[in-house]
Amino acid sequence: MTDHLHPDCPDTARLGPNREESLLRARAARVEHDNGTRDRLWSGGFTRRRVLAGAGMAGVAALGAQLVTTRVSFGAPGPGALVVVFLRGGMDGLSVLVPADDPVLRAARPRTAVSGSLPLARGFGLHPALEPLKKHWDAGRFTAVPALSTPDVSRSHFQAQDVLERGGAASSGWLDRVLAEMGPGTTFRAVGEASTLPRSLVGTSGAVALRGIDGFRLAGWEGAHERTTAALTTLYTGLDHPLAAQAATTLGALRTAGTIATTAYQSAAQYPDGAFGKSLADVARLIKSGAGLRVACVDLGGWDMHTDLATDMTRNLTELGKTLDAFATDLGPALDTTTLLTMTEFGRRIAENGSAGTDHGHGSVALLLGGGLRPRTIAGAWDGLAENVQDHGDVPGSNDHRDLLGELVTRRLGLTEANLAKVFPGHDYRRLGALT
Amino acid sequence: MDGSPDDEPGGQGQGAGSRRKLLAALIGGGLGAAACVPVIGSGLFAPDDEEPQPPRSRADGTPRKAATTPADGGTYLDRDDSYTAGAGGQAGSATPDPAELFSGPAAAAAATEVTVSTILDTSAPELHLLRRFTFGPNPRTVAEVRQVGIDRWLAAQLAPDTVPDAEGDAAWRVFPLAAMSPAQVRGAVREYGWDAMLAHAQATLARQLWSRRQVHEVVVDFWANHLNVTLPSDGAWDVGPSYHNTVIRAHALGSFRAMLTAAMRHPAMLRYLSNDESRRESVNENLGRELLELHTVGVGAGYTEDDVRNSAFLLTGRTTTKEGEFKYDPKWHWTGPVTVLGFGDANASGPGGLALGDRYLAYLATHPATARQIARKLAVRFVADDPPKALVDRLAAVYLESDTEIVPVLKALLSSREFWASVGQKTRRPLENVVASARALDVRPGSDTAKSVADLYWSLDEVGQRPLGWAPPNGYPDVAGAWASAGSMLQVWNRHRGLVQGWWKGLTYTKPEDLVPTKGSAASYVDALCERLLLQRMSPAHRQALVAFFDGATAAQAAPHLVPVVLDSPYFALR
Repeated sequence: MTDHLHPDCPDTARLGPNREESLLRARAARVEHDNGTRDRLWSGGFTRRRVLAGAGMAGVAALGAQLVTTRVSFGAPGPGALVVVFLRGGMDGLSVLVPADDPVLRAARPRTAVSGSLPLARGFGLHPALEPLKKHWDAGRFTAVPALSTPDVSRSHFQAQDVLERGGAASSGWLDRVLAEMGPGTTFRAVGEASTLPRSLVGTSGAVALRGIDGFRLAGWEGAHERTTAALTTLYTGLDHPLAAQAATTLGALRTAGTIATTAYQSAAQYPDGAFGKSLADVARLIKSGAGLRVACVDLGGWDMHTDLATDMTRNLTELGKTLDAFATDLGPALDTTTLLTMTEFGRRIAENGSAGTDHGHGSVALLLGGGLRPRTIAGAWDGLAENVQDHGDVPGSNDHRDLLGELVTRRLGLTEANLAKVFPGHDYRRLGALT
Repeated sequence: MDGSPDDEPGGQGQGAGSRRKLLAALIGGGLGAAACVPVIGSGLFAPDDEEPQPPRSRADGTPRKAATTPADGGTYLDRDDSYTAGAGGQAGSATPDPAELFSGPAAAAAATEVTVSTILDTSAPELHLLRRFTFGPNPRTVAEVRQVGIDRWLAAQLAPDTVPDAEGDAAWRVFPLAAMSPAQVRGAVREYGWDAMLAHAQATLARQLWSRRQVHEVVVDFWANHLNVTLPSDGAWDVGPSYHNTVIRAHALGSFRAMLTAAMRHPAMLRYLSNDESRRESVNENLGRELLELHTVGVGAGYTEDDVRNSAFLLTGRTTTKEGEFKYDPKWHWTGPVTVLGFGDANASGPGGLALGDRYLAYLATHPATARQIARKLAVRFVADDPPKALVDRLAAVYLESDTEIVPVLKALLSSREFWASVGQKTRRPLENVVASARALDVRPGSDTAKSVADLYWSLDEVGQRPLGWAPPNGYPDVAGAWASAGSMLQVWNRHRGLVQGWWKGLTYTKPEDLVPTKGSAASYVDALCERLLLQRMSPAHRQALVAFFDGATAAQAAPHLVPVVLDSPYFALR
């Protein structure tokens, strides 16, 4: 492996917490060394003022862009990936991970309480529309965590999403800081399946937003592409502006995407129609292609169910359950080294409202799918729904989101607790026990 | 400037302290590990096999406020502010002597020396004006401003009825559903059909492309995002066009109080945020909350969950008829004492609830926190992502002095040194970039304008910004950090190719080789092309990159592939 080491760095072990991670970092460091000249050009002309000014955090991405390479090593299994699905709108956790026998819930929701849930553990049942995930629970590859929040997080969608996705006081996203702690990686090590980056990936680490790897290519006559990218490289090189980093990432990702797109690929599962299925199919492809994907973000909206909760929930969960099941099937053995997490900005009020819906609440539920889970276990504190437990009529935030996220990035991405202190500054990390 | 002590003055150089801080941040963040830094040493990673602690609650039972930020969540004024994080842009360094007030925009422009570092031409204030207050300049609009002068051009644009707009009107007429009342839409479209909503959104794109009332279009876009009702969205199928016509377009250059009052009586807003279902016995908080958080005082105003609840009480009874008309139902109105921030009332009767609600809206519209929110958003739109606080304070004062009238606030902004000093400090969002490209290329209506504009509209989905298409009620982000993504940049570049090469059949395109004469040297052709599309030349090194692009081809052969690269360039990406 010596040819994969950076010349200054003979000791592979020191590069990472485990062998796979060390090798990946060593490989990235070598490519980085190869590309040193180009990268020095790209970052030329940067001053601290411009880095921090105007376009904000995106500016520092110019420096982050030095840390990604365009090299793809097909066939090499990645050391593991974290897929974060953000369910926008505030999913009603009590309809998903149902405290089935709780008398408070029955009384507070005469029209909307879920019946016929599939028994899991600790008195919780799974919404029947998530039946496709039950076999994964039985196999120890699916679970859920109740009563999640961050202290004092508001009932505003936008502020709650913002706070969770930034994960602290910084203006960068929490996953961006995770990537920073991981050190260098490949162009497609972090992907947001969207037209624009999710808040959690905004920052310095050069994550790529795309809607399908196949669509990530330059349009028009191919005969002009090489001249085009050469001209654009010059036009953005040395530019004293955050756009320079964005262009560098774009041009680098174009090269990698071209390599991936020309490799024959067939999805191993049938996903439900729709953008969400397409996005997860694409994430599975990136994981299986060996492009070095470590972090992916996918959004699924439509959870703000102020009216007719029962109907909308069944419809949404049906799509969610089938899509996650397809993703698990598609990944095959790679599911063991992948963990998918759903998060949402808040849960809903315990009591239903006058429109057979529920208004904004507090504690929410996260779903976990993939390898490394404690089998058939619901982790985290749960004290029921009695009045002295409630937070202003809501499920309380008994479990801190950051404890779950911290556990995931330590177990799945190989970060240490020392790294966590930088990802969630000021947070006193306590392992939840959702993973082994 | 309210930045940290080692913010550098005037953008000159970089202090050693600043460099140290940056390096510390980067290395501390682990980025320095690119080669071989034992930040992530194996000693720090110990196998963690012990059983986790038994689950215990982290909730402490402390009451929460409605929209306060968690103590460790950072303090930001709004979503856009969280991206810029008090970065103190270059524009902030141009803060003038507060006593220095100008008689008008032209005087402020003339008195302002642009010192920011930018690749854009800083010598021509009319270019700056057009880049900020239109959907994109071209040689014709530059000539118009130069002919009448900045002040007269703006005076006309701020009174849009005085600007003849045959082009905009013609484009509008291509989409007859776009201007219809709810009753007309119901007569023309099957129930819950999207046709009218899409027609309105596409007609909006057409006006952005071709209307001569460009300042109006830009300001309409601002308010449509501020009081967002997404098109298409389920409840807007019949009432969406009416909302955007009678609330946003009608009041965009009027008073905010009137616009807010109209919005909160419009079926589209009432349905969009569930108020049509909010009744005394089953109050829905959706609109009452967003009214405070997004439309008026903002999250930082210090209101509580009780205020949100009372805000929702005040709006109960505002609903719609089955036919999509506004209806106030006094029987649905929640009665009893209400207080929100400094507003209070006995709220004793159902019939009195509508007028009371309007008084509440007037209270909110004229609240100093609302003035700051709107002043800041306007400054973010027109000046810089992190605008100078002194400017925001002055604009907020003008807003309150002028009883929420919008034009005086815009005039104050345009008469500020901060505005004229901020050349190149904004980045075009994807929609702005694509529309500006079409305007620069002089793409015109053609044989099938409706279909081709519709195709272009759907194509904007891939860049992440269709007009009126932002689904949540807070409107599209307005800072570059929110849009920084490789995917969006690539898709914008691809739309440049489409507009140059005429992908959307039914429009009238200028052939790329006909934009400027192709005779002469490659270098002179590149200069002419840049002057035509960018309204300035590129630096010698950049010109050379475009000359190299020819690679033996003639200008006419190279043009279809070279012209898009000019639009891809940073000169076009900034505004």
